[in-house]
Amino acid sequence: MGAMGELLRRLGPAWATLLALLGTVLVAGLLLVAGGYDPFVAAGALVSGAVGSPEAFLSVTLVRSVPLILTGLAVALAFRAGVWNIGAEGQLYAGAVAAAWVGLSGGDLPAWILLPAVLAASAVAGVAWALVPTVMKLRLGVGEVITTLLMNFVGINLAAWAVHGPLQEARGVFPQTDPIAAGARLPALVPGSRLHVGFLLALVLAALLWGVLRWSRAGFVLRSVGASQPAARVAGRMNAPRAVFVAFLASGALAGLAGGVEVSGVTFALYEGLSPGWGYTAIAVALLAGLHPGAVVATGILFGALEGGAGSMQRVAGIPATWVIAVEALVILSVLAVDQLRRRVVRAAAHG
Amino acid sequence: MTPTVPARLQGITKRFGTVEALRGAELVVRAGEVHGVLGENGAGKSTLLNILAGMLLPDAGTVKVDGRVRVLRRPRDAWRAGVGMVHQHFTLVPALSVLENLALGLRSAAGGLRLPYAELERRVEALSAGTGLAVPLDATVEQLGVGARQRVEVLKALLREPRILVLDEPTAVLAPSEVQTLFALLRGLADQGRAVVLVAHKLDEVLDVADRVTVLRRGRTVLEAARSDVDLPGLIRAMVGSDEADPVAIGAFHGAETPVAPTGGEPVASLAGVRVRDGRGAWALDGATLDVRRGEVVGVAGVEGNGQHELALVLSGRVAPGEGSARVPGDVGFIPQDRTVEGLVGDFDLTANVALALHREGAYASGPGGLLVRWGALRRRTGELLEKFDVLASGPGVRAGTLSGGNQQRLVVARELEMARDLLVAENPTRGLDVGAASFVHDELRRLTRRDPCPGVVLLSTDLDEVLALSHRIFVMVRGRLTPVPEGARSREGVGALMLAAAHGRHG
Amino acid sequence: MVESAALPAFFEASVRLGVPLALAALGETVTERSGVLNIGLEGSFIAGALGASLGALAVGSAATGVLAGGAAGLVVAAVFALFVVGLNTDQIITGTAVTLGGLGFTGAVYQARFGATGTALTLPTLSALPIPVLSDIPLVGRALFAQAPTAYLAYALAPALWYFLYRTEWGLELRAVGEAPAAAEAAGVRVGPTRAAAILFGGALAGVAGAHLALAHAGTFSENMSAGRGFIAIAVVVLGRWNPLWVLVAALFFGAASALQFFLQTLGLDLPYQLFLALPYLLTLAALAGWVGRSRAPAALALPWPRETPGA
Repeated sequence: MGAMGELLRRLGPAWATLLALLGTVLVAGLLLVAGGYDPFVAAGALVSGAVGSPEAFLSVTLVRSVPLILTGLAVALAFRAGVWNIGAEGQLYAGAVAAAWVGLSGGDLPAWILLPAVLAASAVAGVAWALVPTVMKLRLGVGEVITTLLMNFVGINLAAWAVHGPLQEARGVFPQTDPIAAGARLPALVPGSRLHVGFLLALVLAALLWGVLRWSRAGFVLRSVGASQPAARVAGRMNAPRAVFVAFLASGALAGLAGGVEVSGVTFALYEGLSPGWGYTAIAVALLAGLHPGAVVATGILFGALEGGAGSMQRVAGIPATWVIAVEALVILSVLAVDQLRRRVVRAAAHG
Repeated sequence: MTPTVPARLQGITKRFGTVEALRGAELVVRAGEVHGVLGENGAGKSTLLNILAGMLLPDAGTVKVDGRVRVLRRPRDAWRAGVGMVHQHFTLVPALSVLENLALGLRSAAGGLRLPYAELERRVEALSAGTGLAVPLDATVEQLGVGARQRVEVLKALLREPRILVLDEPTAVLAPSEVQTLFALLRGLADQGRAVVLVAHKLDEVLDVADRVTVLRRGRTVLEAARSDVDLPGLIRAMVGSDEADPVAIGAFHGAETPVAPTGGEPVASLAGVRVRDGRGAWALDGATLDVRRGEVVGVAGVEGNGQHELALVLSGRVAPGEGSARVPGDVGFIPQDRTVEGLVGDFDLTANVALALHREGAYASGPGGLLVRWGALRRRTGELLEKFDVLASGPGVRAGTLSGGNQQRLVVARELEMARDLLVAENPTRGLDVGAASFVHDELRRLTRRDPCPGVVLLSTDLDEVLALSHRIFVMVRGRLTPVPEGARSREGVGALMLAAAHGRHG
Repeated sequence: MVESAALPAFFEASVRLGVPLALAALGETVTERSGVLNIGLEGSFIAGALGASLGALAVGSAATGVLAGGAAGLVVAAVFALFVVGLNTDQIITGTAVTLGGLGFTGAVYQARFGATGTALTLPTLSALPIPVLSDIPLVGRALFAQAPTAYLAYALAPALWYFLYRTEWGLELRAVGEAPAAAEAAGVRVGPTRAAAILFGGALAGVAGAHLALAHAGTFSENMSAGRGFIAIAVVVLGRWNPLWVLVAALFFGAASALQFFLQTLGLDLPYQLFLALPYLLTLAALAGWVGRSRAPAALALPWPRETPGA
């Protein structure tokens, strides 16, 4: 174990991430073989579907990465503060519903009013969705894991109700809304592709979050509370409940915004099944990024490629697209395993 | 041929990471005697005993029980070999009842399926009668005080009928009167023919009860002799390697000089009838009234679990009183007793740890409204503190978790002294520290009162000698209430008597 | 007007819907009593549903399906145990991954075998097994005693687990591990194997719960049919205060909440369909808010073991 131990000991976080990805690819490949599929054909189809052409890269991968980056930031922020926000999915749907509602009611309002209103509404809806678990945690001491999970299902049903009922399209045939007003739509970022300004917004928010965590006092308080509440409260005299409160709600806002951006930039309407589980994938995105806002952009794009290429993989290699969700789970497990193994090896290597 | 003794440990070596806790240590345990194992904190005493009790495996060396070499991989192996251990911490389940705790792990003849409570109760009653240890079987452990918990621990160990009984720092949590009771019990057990091994870092106590002593220093056995063959200076020399050692830190303090009390002045902090609830809603601090003046050291003595932590939190402004009034200054430093949990963030680097306390100071904030942190300035200040207080670390950027206990405490003290312009609250500041680090802390505390302007100091400690040596005024803390100690009672016996009286007084 | 047949039908549906919750929650009670919070229970649940479907179809018998479901649930739980006990990874994150993996994997396997067309499978059903005499009790007789055998398993397990936890040495050791693992180790109890066994037990029961859902309730398999029941089961454990007897009661109560939609429809109330779908989750939230203050979780629940001492 000597040379390998030395190698692993020198691994910085980036190398550990790569190792985790390698492990995932290996296990996924083996499982595909066991299922009778050709992993190389699958990989090839995935890659070409995701980045095979500039068109694919822009309109598929990057577009798909936007909600993942935003929810990834939401989850990373929450986890950094020690809050287990597993409810990004429900917060996203709440934001989507709010965005659709404002986008449909806006009528002829000019874009410079309507668009910010749509995005703001989605963020506020996300906050509202996170409020119930937050209050239950801080006032009643109920663990946020279960409450945020339950709110996911309520959020999905809320969206379903909206598109079957009050927000349903005028002709009342399908469970979806009419397209939202032109002034409520995010403009295209690269003309001719589906990539919209929301991508830029995601990048800006990532940079902002990074700056806040690293340079601001509030960010330091948040990190301290997340690292050790007792030390933050006693040595730091920090107001831990307030930090948790703010972090939790800000996380909800980001996730809600993800829903709003998707409606306003891609679908221009709301329908059932808007999100294929982005709120959960966000956990993999955030973890793989080591909860670092800058790295979330990279992992968000990586997972965008994964999900974007899934359709192509299904068409070409016949592997069901849901397989990608299993791969995402493998990523989380790989990261966890590599992290623990790294700690053990560091300890063993220090043994002399 | 060496005579067969109940237990003989030879050449024991044990490493934890890069730290060598034991380097060829030896121990001989004889039947019918109380054997004291001495050494400063970090000398390896607990490690050696844990190996004998099957909690740890040595890297090298042999453990012989009754003349046969044994490999004690887990506690159960040690029990089968006849070794029972009374631990210092964490071996009772708080939420379960005393009876359940005693039954845990006993593996009766009935197998896993039934719980033979009736038989167990009979055995416990017999043991209680024989040893004088009484425990309420139906109470949950978390309802019990520290002394009672220790009695349960001892009973638990005795239930396995060990021929060798090992106790790890049993006196640390006891009031002086309870220590006497314990020693009488140990004496009785030894007279029955058992072997009793006792670990302590307080010289005076061990010399009271031991027949033989073994002294460990830096992982090696440096002395092994009968009690009658050694004297105090010889033992100190063996423990620390020189004739000079802080008598308080080494447990050989014979309380002489009372520090000169400062004259008059406005109180820098005052509490009146303060009550604070603990985590479970009971009044941990039950009506505390206290004044602290600049330049004076107020000592609060008491056994753990009597509300000291809550008092410390109120004095340092970390917690507001549930009832009563507390007037505390803004510039307070607080050295918590649990430094790894409440004092430092192990995953943060040293600069960030210093920032925990200093981030609010104007000098380290910049930008509109002081929104941003001046990390550069903080890093420089941290470097200065590391040097000034002799903290052994490669730089301000290392993780706090990599520092040794002594160096971590140096960092915490350094940081809190920065903050303590009006008041310093220190809670068991030398707990777990070796003699060198403990002396350093004592020196800093003494030096504090000679600063200008000098803050007030409140020292809360379960170490009676420490309180007696450093304080101008002393209080005793029992069940959340403070009782002042008059001049005439400034001794171990005096304070011990006050604790007893206060405890009985509360019973009504 | 409420028809006289509506109430017994409501009770019957309540029990039928409550049984999978009860089975999963009883298993999770044992797991949590050992100090492990298994969010991956949902993964065991859905794996059990798929495993039962495949097993029942392959052999043509629902009984085989139940066994296959239990086995599938156990396998998923084994992955969870490997990481949480073997590698000491964080329980919450690992559980989330296991659930995600379970859902993704079962979805992919289902689509691969049966195509993504959406035609429902027809499975051999786990038919009701009425108990003579007891099932004739008016109002509740058919509801309680004319159910699938898995329901009777739940009834039997509740008191059996209660006895195990409070009246046996093994149960005492399990509880000690969940309250204070350090103390348990010092007393000679091995924390790792105890927790692993508890996790596997919980996973197997969740698998059987999934089997019940597929074979006795729905009669088919569809993707994501577990619909968060694994999570509700965890909430049921909290409501039942980690006591098997109360957990069974709480589970049946939630079955009633799910069955409410049918009952209210017969009353002629025209409430949105999605409100009924959301009702169990909302009720769970309300119940957690109302009841939590009075219950106490095992003290070491969801904490890593061995504890990671800084710098050790």
